[in-house]
Amino acid sequence: MLLVVLSLLLLTAYFGEAPGGRLHGVQRAFLTVVSPIQDGANKALKPVRDLFGWFGDALHAKGQRDQLRRQNDILRREVVADQAEKRSYRQLISLYHLDQLGVNDYHPVTATVFGKSPNIWYSTVTIDKGSSAGVRVNDPVINGEGLVGKVVQVASDGAQVDLITDSSVGVSARVGTSNATGIVQPKAGDPNDLLLQYLPANSQVNNGEYVVTSGTVSPDDSLYPPGIVIGQVTSVNEESAYRSVNVHPTANLHNLDVVQVLTSGAGTRPSNLSRLAASLPAGQSPAGGAVTGEQLASTGSGG
Amino acid sequence: MSGAPSGALLVRVAALAVVVVFFQIGVVSEVPVFGVNADISPLLVAFVGLLCGSMLGAAGGFAVGLLVDLTLLQTLGLTSLVFTLIGYSCGRLRELRDPQAALTPLLVGASASAVSLVGYSLMEFMLGVDAPVSFELLRQIVLGVVVNTIVALPMWAIVRRSLEGALPEDPRRRRRRRAYTTGGLSPLSRS
Repeated sequence: MLLVVLSLLLLTAYFGEAPGGRLHGVQRAFLTVVSPIQDGANKALKPVRDLFGWFGDALHAKGQRDQLRRQNDILRREVVADQAEKRSYRQLISLYHLDQLGVNDYHPVTATVFGKSPNIWYSTVTIDKGSSAGVRVNDPVINGEGLVGKVVQVASDGAQVDLITDSSVGVSARVGTSNATGIVQPKAGDPNDLLLQYLPANSQVNNGEYVVTSGTVSPDDSLYPPGIVIGQVTSVNEESAYRSVNVHPTANLHNLDVVQVLTSGAGTRPSNLSRLAASLPAGQSPAGGAVTGEQLASTGSGG
Repeated sequence: MSGAPSGALLVRVAALAVVVVFFQIGVVSEVPVFGVNADISPLLVAFVGLLCGSMLGAAGGFAVGLLVDLTLLQTLGLTSLVFTLIGYSCGRLRELRDPQAALTPLLVGASASAVSLVGYSLMEFMLGVDAPVSFELLRQIVLGVVVNTIVALPMWAIVRRSLEGALPEDPRRRRRRRAYTTGGLSPLSRS
């Protein structure tokens, strides 16, 4: 009974306090202490993990190979066409002096994933780089396959990353080359499916198209740089006023070993956006789940 | 289990908890089976309760839950609450019924996993998680219980083997064993 009451007290106190509160501080301090141990254990247990992973990978390898060959052919043709378009796009950008926020404005910090939440409600991973490496709350996290998530808590030598499949994360995104933007949110309990919502009803979306971060230009700024691949469209749902689209994440979120945190120097635009999102009141902060930084972005306040 | 738990038992439970939580985070959570991850921490709590009784079950559940919440930076107290209830319930099951069937660990593991997943989901809803919920959630819970049930027997063997030497002899269980081997009578009374 005493332990149940104690749990409830902890729960109430933790839920009620701001992200900078005492209990959050205790958690961060604990992470600082255990992160080297966890990192060591993670490296020691990697062969075991790889062994289990090898069985699963072998089962899917043949099908994936055929699929990738087909995809490769399509992509090769697209690359040729895109290169010509890219050249003209660059010229247009320089002509119109568009205030575009690109990945080049960020400083990528490579980090190793050493912990992952087993819970279907918390799609989080813990990485081995923290504030000492320049990582800050709300920094975008990517890997070679696409967008992974964003940093939500930082200790000196570790940080917690909410994956894009976490219920508290929302990312402003667009489909392929269209200008229509929406918000990508997870379908709770399904780590393989995301939902791109609030697309205009008349927007043209086809299965297999890539969904990328919109990284919208001023005034609707986003925490994420534009053009980072989030996933591929698997189906389109017709709704009354808006259209929503099921998206399969491109990044294999089940098997994250190395990721990159897109950190930004103090005073830069990404940094200001991150600070603005982090300074929201507890109930409205991205971690609080009520309003995400991206939702804020979509209102035009930046985030 | 009668009386206070011995120091050796507490040390073994604590060591097992740390190893299992780190193994869960470092390995088990990284290996999806049927699209879900097994969660061996509620199984550990349930089996500690089943072997050691309600007091140590509840205390172990609270400690393991707290360790999970601290390590994964989750809402502090949430896992502790769910795991305390699981540990206590499994301990009471042992104290009141003392089930001896071979399938008991399997059923207890499945029940503990179901309570953990459903309890967690309910708590998350009560805390106001802002996400669209689909039938997929139900599928994930069911698959999670199935996968946990598959790993319940090996986990039971590991927990029992780890704690075996430190578990004190239970007088009631001893009586039952004697009754089984002597047909209900002690060798003295038979003669």
